[in-house]
Amino acid sequence: MTHYYSRRDFLRNTGLSALGIHLAMGLPSFASSDVTPKNRKQRLIFVFSPNGVIPDHFWPDTVGADFQLKRILEPLAPFQDQTITMKGVCNLIRGDGDGHMRGIGCLLTGIELFPGDIQGGSDTPAGWSMGISVDQYLKNQLQANPATQTRFGSLEFGVMVPERADTWTRLSYGGPNQPMAPIDDPYQMFDKLYGQQKNREMLASVLDGLQDDYKRLSTMISSEDRAMLEEHLEMTRQLEKDLQVELSAGKRDGAESGDSVGHAVPTLPANVEEQNDNMPLLTKMQIDLLVNSFAADFARVGTFQITNSVGQPRMKWLGIDEGHHTLSHEPDSNEESYEKLIKINTWYCEQVAYLAKRLAETPEPGADGSMLDNTTIVWTNELGKGNSHTRHNIPFVMIGGGLGWKTGMAYDYKKVPHNRLLMSFCDAMGHPVESFGNPDFCSEGILTGLA
Amino acid sequence: MPCSFLNSRIIVLASLLYLLCASVPHARADENPAAATVPSDREVLLSQGESIWKMKCAECHGANGEGVEQLYDKALAGDETVGQLAELIDRTMPEGAPEECQGDDAVAVATWIHEAFYSEAARLRNRPPRITLTHLTSNQLQQSLADLYGRFHGNMPLEEQRGLRAEYYNGSSRNKNNLKMERIDPVVNFDWGTWGPGNGISKDAFYVYWQGGLKVEESGQYEIIMRSTAAFKMDFGRFGRLFIDNHVQSGDKSEFRKTVNLLAGRVYPVKIDLYQRKRKTEQPPVSARLSWVAPHGIEEVIPERNLIPVSPPPTFALQTKLPPDDRSYGYDRGLAVDRSWDESTTLAAAEFASVAISELWPDYQRSHNEDPDENRAKLRAFVAILAETAFRGPLSDDEKKFYVDDQIDATKDDTLAIQRCLLTILKSPRFLYPELDRDRSVSQRVANRLALVLFDSLPSDKVLLDAVSKNELETDEQIRQMAERMVNDYRCEGKMHEMLFEWLNLSHIGNIAKDSEQFPNFNKELVADLRTSLKLTLDEAVIDGESDFRQLFDANWLYTNSRLADFYGDNWTSPATEPEAVKMEVKESSSDSPAFAERPPHRASEDYYGLLPVNSFVKSEASPPYNRGILSHPYLMSGLAYNDTSSPIHRGVFLIRYMLGRTLRPPNAAFTPLSADLHPELTTRERVALQTGEESCQVCHSKINGLGFTLEGFDAVGRFREMEGEKPINSHGSYIDRNGQTISFNNAKDVAEYMAGSDDAHRAFVHRAFQHFVKQPAAAYNPAAMDELINEFRSDQFDLRKLVVDVAVVAANPTYLNPLPPASPSPDSTTSN
Repeated sequence: MTHYYSRRDFLRNTGLSALGIHLAMGLPSFASSDVTPKNRKQRLIFVFSPNGVIPDHFWPDTVGADFQLKRILEPLAPFQDQTITMKGVCNLIRGDGDGHMRGIGCLLTGIELFPGDIQGGSDTPAGWSMGISVDQYLKNQLQANPATQTRFGSLEFGVMVPERADTWTRLSYGGPNQPMAPIDDPYQMFDKLYGQQKNREMLASVLDGLQDDYKRLSTMISSEDRAMLEEHLEMTRQLEKDLQVELSAGKRDGAESGDSVGHAVPTLPANVEEQNDNMPLLTKMQIDLLVNSFAADFARVGTFQITNSVGQPRMKWLGIDEGHHTLSHEPDSNEESYEKLIKINTWYCEQVAYLAKRLAETPEPGADGSMLDNTTIVWTNELGKGNSHTRHNIPFVMIGGGLGWKTGMAYDYKKVPHNRLLMSFCDAMGHPVESFGNPDFCSEGILTGLA
Repeated sequence: MPCSFLNSRIIVLASLLYLLCASVPHARADENPAAATVPSDREVLLSQGESIWKMKCAECHGANGEGVEQLYDKALAGDETVGQLAELIDRTMPEGAPEECQGDDAVAVATWIHEAFYSEAARLRNRPPRITLTHLTSNQLQQSLADLYGRFHGNMPLEEQRGLRAEYYNGSSRNKNNLKMERIDPVVNFDWGTWGPGNGISKDAFYVYWQGGLKVEESGQYEIIMRSTAAFKMDFGRFGRLFIDNHVQSGDKSEFRKTVNLLAGRVYPVKIDLYQRKRKTEQPPVSARLSWVAPHGIEEVIPERNLIPVSPPPTFALQTKLPPDDRSYGYDRGLAVDRSWDESTTLAAAEFASVAISELWPDYQRSHNEDPDENRAKLRAFVAILAETAFRGPLSDDEKKFYVDDQIDATKDDTLAIQRCLLTILKSPRFLYPELDRDRSVSQRVANRLALVLFDSLPSDKVLLDAVSKNELETDEQIRQMAERMVNDYRCEGKMHEMLFEWLNLSHIGNIAKDSEQFPNFNKELVADLRTSLKLTLDEAVIDGESDFRQLFDANWLYTNSRLADFYGDNWTSPATEPEAVKMEVKESSSDSPAFAERPPHRASEDYYGLLPVNSFVKSEASPPYNRGILSHPYLMSGLAYNDTSSPIHRGVFLIRYMLGRTLRPPNAAFTPLSADLHPELTTRERVALQTGEESCQVCHSKINGLGFTLEGFDAVGRFREMEGEKPINSHGSYIDRNGQTISFNNAKDVAEYMAGSDDAHRAFVHRAFQHFVKQPAAAYNPAAMDELINEFRSDQFDLRKLVVDVAVVAANPTYLNPLPPASPSPDSTTSN
């Protein structure tokens, strides 16, 4: 089977012009961007940051297309026309678990937690979620169809997620009682994404030296035994040739298709330890890996979990020594904390903006436009506001064109269950559902007025 | 001018040719010449070809095609087919007079030379025994990586105690001040209900900590199953290496399974932290059970005998799948060099590198905190240790440059550097081909052989490495002392287990299933118990305690449990039949007191609240007819039987091939046994005799049946019987040994007694031991080695451990080690310039 690295390759190799191919194969145009092609790639990335926001400096004052970004969302200014802010979406799931636990555990699942033995500061103890999360649901749908199947389907990134599997540290669920552990070590993620290829590159670079050693050592054995080592050497030579072909094909791919992504293996800064002060660098490394792996079409759904529900990063690089969760409990009247919380949330927004920027700079492989045109980033949170623990007005800010919704819009849905938004994600990704999570919150169907 | 016979395709391998002296190509020393044989067409053809050869060809080509100086001095060897050879002979031979050998005569000659010396298969057959270069077998690769890891942490010494160390705390954290109870739990199989572990420990919030080692005796896939209604975390392989994470108790999820590849002779650290957290709602009941499905087993609570209440050093078991090894010699040998093997070594190197990065390197940095680190000196030192261990000897300057420095200098990232280094080291000839050590010191080479022979691994233990560095492995005495020390090691015991399984050919028995109407309750649980019972019998006879090969045939004990007792009856009921010994009764729990189990007498001093009974094995006195060791053991007897009848042929072949070490040709064709339904008037013995009565069958079956019939006293499930239907069992039989002596037997007892004292059986056992441990032919070391080993085995009262020491001493003896070829300069001197 022949693989074409880009549309240009395909056309060049088949000898068809763009017009000719339409006539010959009756394909819908995929050059035109104003007709949404059926086979365009759609991607969805959920970014999580913890402990609620400061609503007055988060939500725009007006709804509609003509809205002003507030302080926290200011970093998104370059992408305002590709942004949607969605106020009035509420996580109404009740049942076991404290506010933070239900905040994160029901956020993408839309269903209650099982009874369990994790006792929060209040409420009843709870375990894991009773259902699959929307990212995993969509991944399963995409993977079931050869046309949308990718190597991993979904990727679960984390940044400084504690080494502890509990209801507060898990956002994504493969099913009831099946929390998905995010990978927060960039080197581990790198290994998952490129380990095999990196190994083969390394192998190719040491085979020469190994061959010398085989030759050198074969002088110490009899001619009969040498036959075996020669067989080994011959196999190694063949392997070396094959690897050269394989690896140079990868490079040509990257170069000829004209985009920087190709299948080139990214380079990570060396020896970065997972510790609080490295959080900005770790975040950047993870975002770079995310963009790279999506450009290589390793997956089309992802989660990007920054710390965890009740997360305690100490943002010393912003001059803040206290942990985020501790600060989030302070009353609004504590002006110092209030200001710090705005800064912390602005920092999170900067990370989201960096992700958007990287996607916007990366041409869509095999099509026109950028990756951001075909990707929606959903930035969300387990709480509406930290010190009240409310799960009303859950922060939902979307950037990019993956879902095909009208962007450059500020909405306020007043008070709708977030299950309806989860249903809307499924619908926009081409896999509509009757309900998502607890059906009691789904009777009114998907949110209207988005497309 | 010499004849130019087959000159176009001849491969000259004169050095390989070994003269075939026997007149019949397939003749084996142990074929009984007295057996009546009707020669097959092929045999006629061969003898015809041989006589023509002698008359018309041997003059120029030599009696066995080895060549004759001045006439035709090249050896005849090549890859033409019989047909091609015949055509060539027909046209050209004998030179100058081709008409003298044509048509059928040419075919006969071609057939004979092809069979006798010309073909590759014939050359292999005729090759003199020698120590062949092989790469690590898959088992050796896995064991070597385990010890490469172990180089940094040491190895587990033998330990008598069994069970797991347990600590019980008040409150749901491991707080020293709240420690309420410390003890050794025999197994993890508790049901504490809502009462907690007793002893005044709070039932609302408690913490149980179990720690110890899991002793594995057979390599393969193990499914580890933890069932718990409380939150827990389980570390495995290393304390701190999380294996099962149930930090959150959620809903009804209480079963956690994980499959892992484990190695025989290794003890894996196990740690379980189990906690009942206090909640604001009602406390649910707590139960905890640690079980496994071992290879060939069924799910069972991990038995006490496999648990050791100590802190074993961390260890590593490779999970990468490796292709199976060449078994054409009857034992694993690393001969196949192909891409799938090569690819698997790459994946194995990558897997090892990842554990080196996540565990060994941080460990090393911690323990070398004070060392200078200029120019990444620590990393270089760390990798050098890995390379020296993997290469089984010190690094030359060139090796240090290529395997350590070049790879480290290629990247700034320490992680990538370790990956590069290990990929290179673990794919190197030094690591993969242990024989490539001829430039090493004598002590080093001896140590390398000892580790390979006794552990299937490389030297990494401190004692062994110290002996190498002091050159203290040069004399017989030194080698023997070291071998004696190494035999008392779990790794060597693991290898002994595998050897016994190979000796019994257990891998061919597979899944035993029986006709469920005829043998109700003969189910897979029973089969698993039988296998365990056999294994315990083998352990007791030759591995644990007083090792004596003869006990394999006259053990006066057997290992039984309640299920075996129920099926096999009184002989299998434990003599100390107090039910506690086999079954522990759970006392009725009343509403105000927790349930608890009564322990067997030797533990009566302690109460183990909530401990549920397990179906454990007990040693019991064996009474006739089940006192014939393996020969009266139902696992073998039912394995060597059909699903509804016994199989004298399977049993006979087993005795001849495996117990007596004789060779048999494969049957002329595949036969379906005569159906018992079609011959209701015949016993199994009579049906077998009827089916194998033809002369061509009798060549082998006269030997097979005579032995197989002696075990007719055991039916298809290995139960003793005196009658088959209406007829009494006839278990008379006989055997003609290597010396042509005929021995007669009345029954299994006679055969077992014969096996215990028979030269042939001793030879077969010693031969199997040598093959399994050394993986090279014994004659390659010393033509008299086998006879000497058998004599020593006898004078050592048939002690397997002593035999293994003797085998290791032969295989490690410096005088038998392949020397460097004299013509070659030493590699170091060629490369250091």
